[in-house]
Amino acid sequence: METALSWLAENWPDAIIPLAVFLASLIATFWLRRGAYDRLDRWAKKSRWPGDEIVVQATKTASALWCLLLSAYLALAVSGLPAGWKGPVGKGLGTLLLLSVTLVALSLASRFIQFYGDRLKIPQRPVSMAGQIVRVVILVTAALELLHIWGVPTSPILLVMGVAVLAGALAFRDVLPSAFAGFQLSASGHIKVGDYIKLETGEEGYVTEMDWRHTRIRAMDESTIIIPNSRLLQSTVINYGRPLKKASEPFRFYTRAHLKELTGLKASNLRQMVEILKDSPDSVVYYHTHHFLEEHNYLTPEPANDFALWVSDALGDEVLGERLASVDVFDLPSLGAIKERLVNIMEEHLSRQPNGREAPEGREFHFIKSVSVILPTPYVAHDLREFVEALRKLSLGSLYYHVFESRLRLGRGLNDFSTWLEERLEEKELAERIARLDPYTYTLEGLRSSLIQLIEKRIK
Amino acid sequence: MRLADYEPIVGRSTLEELRLLAAQLSGKVIQNINSTFTGGGVAEILSRMVPLLRQMGVDARWSVIKGNQEFFQVTKKFHNALHGREERLSPQEFSLFMETNQKNMEELDLYGDFIFVHDPQPIALVTKKKELGKRWVWRCHIDVSRPDEEVWAFLRPFIVEYDAAVFSAPAFSQQLPIRQVLISPSIDPLSDKNRELPQETIDTVLEKYQLPREKPIITQVSRFDYLKDPVGVVQAFEMVRKSIDCCLVLAGGTASDDPESDRVLAEVRERAEGNPDVHILPIPPNSDIDINALQRASTVIVQKSLKEGFGLTVSEALWKGKPVVASAVGGIPLQVKNKFTGLLSHGVEGTAYAIKQLLTNPEYARWLGENGRHHVKENFLITRHLRDYLLLFIALEHPEDVVYL
Repeated sequence: METALSWLAENWPDAIIPLAVFLASLIATFWLRRGAYDRLDRWAKKSRWPGDEIVVQATKTASALWCLLLSAYLALAVSGLPAGWKGPVGKGLGTLLLLSVTLVALSLASRFIQFYGDRLKIPQRPVSMAGQIVRVVILVTAALELLHIWGVPTSPILLVMGVAVLAGALAFRDVLPSAFAGFQLSASGHIKVGDYIKLETGEEGYVTEMDWRHTRIRAMDESTIIIPNSRLLQSTVINYGRPLKKASEPFRFYTRAHLKELTGLKASNLRQMVEILKDSPDSVVYYHTHHFLEEHNYLTPEPANDFALWVSDALGDEVLGERLASVDVFDLPSLGAIKERLVNIMEEHLSRQPNGREAPEGREFHFIKSVSVILPTPYVAHDLREFVEALRKLSLGSLYYHVFESRLRLGRGLNDFSTWLEERLEEKELAERIARLDPYTYTLEGLRSSLIQLIEKRIK
Repeated sequence: MRLADYEPIVGRSTLEELRLLAAQLSGKVIQNINSTFTGGGVAEILSRMVPLLRQMGVDARWSVIKGNQEFFQVTKKFHNALHGREERLSPQEFSLFMETNQKNMEELDLYGDFIFVHDPQPIALVTKKKELGKRWVWRCHIDVSRPDEEVWAFLRPFIVEYDAAVFSAPAFSQQLPIRQVLISPSIDPLSDKNRELPQETIDTVLEKYQLPREKPIITQVSRFDYLKDPVGVVQAFEMVRKSIDCCLVLAGGTASDDPESDRVLAEVRERAEGNPDVHILPIPPNSDIDINALQRASTVIVQKSLKEGFGLTVSEALWKGKPVVASAVGGIPLQVKNKFTGLLSHGVEGTAYAIKQLLTNPEYARWLGENGRHHVKENFLITRHLRDYLLLFIALEHPEDVVYL
């Protein structure tokens, strides 16, 4: 103690000058800091950008330490300490400065990422992932700088890190584009959970989940399609927006295919035709009044039944043929009623002309029955959007089943679409519009287009 | 050929529906049995259907019965007799037929859940049904609308043993105590015979057969067989040629079970001798691209059959958008809806008149051709055929008219 005091007595200028420099610069830097923060506070209050407040809050405390460290550094520079002491003390001060700058940078990065994440409504996962990446970068940079301050060579470490980053990039080469795409998708907000989207490649459905790599959509067959975000970003996507009103019960689409079963029965004249027709089951009546719809659907509606065609072509009786052709199948409630009407017309004709003509050899009328095989398709609709999108994809067999077969052959009296729309979706007006369409005056593709138009109009 | 390759032609929903139906037959084996792996329409259809069914997960297989030349001569007579032609069959020939079938019954492994027998050659295999059980279907590819009574009476006891018989046209159905199903055959739009061809290929084929390019070409593609009436075609052509400068191509191959074709070929050659506008082209097997190119190069395609199982060459021509003149026999009226998808004729004069009508009215001919292509797309492509077969096997297990799966 005595030695130190005596040294101080002898060398007081060496102690007093750095002290004075320290105190003076401390006062000056604190004064400058206060001035700067006063201005910054005022500016932050005026500015609409909330980011400046983040900057002020994050740096306010640390800036006091920086003033202290700067003053100490200046004092050290003017002090008469031996060079061997000055170096380590300077490095110590540098280390403290680096630590405080690192802490401030971490705080700023974390607050800004959170701020922009909230503002852009980016899901928490990509936000926290971005935060972690930035934190790692800051810490690694700080660590390298620290090593540099203390004279440790950093080139080999940088090389190793470069290789590691490269290896990481290679290992995650498939993941990274999706992750970036996920970030972009979230940031743009063009696609959100709950939207109904359709990709150019055909996938479509409601978005149920979006994470940083994938977007999940629930398809119409109730399966989940997982689409990498990178593909979603590159694809042309139609977004129909938010879900529409949900039906109390979904519509499950069925399809039906029919097999033509030969009865082995044939008629050569009208009397034989009536006799066989009278005893024929509904499946025979159905075949001969409906098969043209499918087989010749490329020719604009050909609303004749086989009986009418045969009577005109094979028997050459065009008057009777016309009467049979004019039986309005849409107007009659059941196949039994259709059969009765046809038989009545034929019997009435026979009562006036009992000796009818014979069909030429090889032109006999062969009675065929339709065996329907009905099976569920994967398509299910919960609302009008899903319903109309399914309509676009359905086979003609499916359309045929719900419009023609269910109405007449299965005796429901109304097409399935109208029934569901009215009873399960409370779309009474749309249901009535569809029920009013006379499907027999359209080709099947024409009918599909008309249904789609009606529903699209309702959705809009 | 992959099933997915048909999507651009028939649409995704058609294939989806096929897969739904195929799923119902999962675990079942369908064993097809006929008389030859090569030549003729049956082998051609099976060689495409079987792999496609397998791609859909249906275990379809294909076996062939064995028989000597004499046996196939007898079955050829059966074939002609079923078509209504007069044939004399001796008791020895019936015995040979039975012996060959008996031998095949002993040698052939009948393992399928569904045994699907094609045409009369292997028809008597059904005798094993009592012993083996299983579901048996007889697929008749022949026009049996007016069969020879003796041959029909011989075959009928076998037919009624089957669970179902399949015919290609309504007129072929008979009064039978078993289920009878109508399934039209089909063409494969992706086969060499039907796929699109570049103009260079068509030109090369015309050059190969030394056919003129400057004249309209009238073509009939069919085996050299009496029932295809090639002589009648030459006669009709001669009538047309009187007023219109054109040429005729008669192109056709032979099948390994058809020993008659050489005789017919000689007869046609004799009839057309000295007429430079008649080109008779016996096409070797595996020349499908040649046939395709000849059809595409044609102005009008004729199918003047006297009898026809179905007459798939008509669908082939329609698929290529060609105007067709065809006889109203067998399955042809199903393909040609008169004046909508082609013209039907009933004799040599009628055929000549229809050809002239088309040659002198190219717009009308084009309209018919376009409609024809549509008609084939909807009703006579292999995808529709696959669907019908799947439905047939499903229906065999469900006797009702409306089957819910």
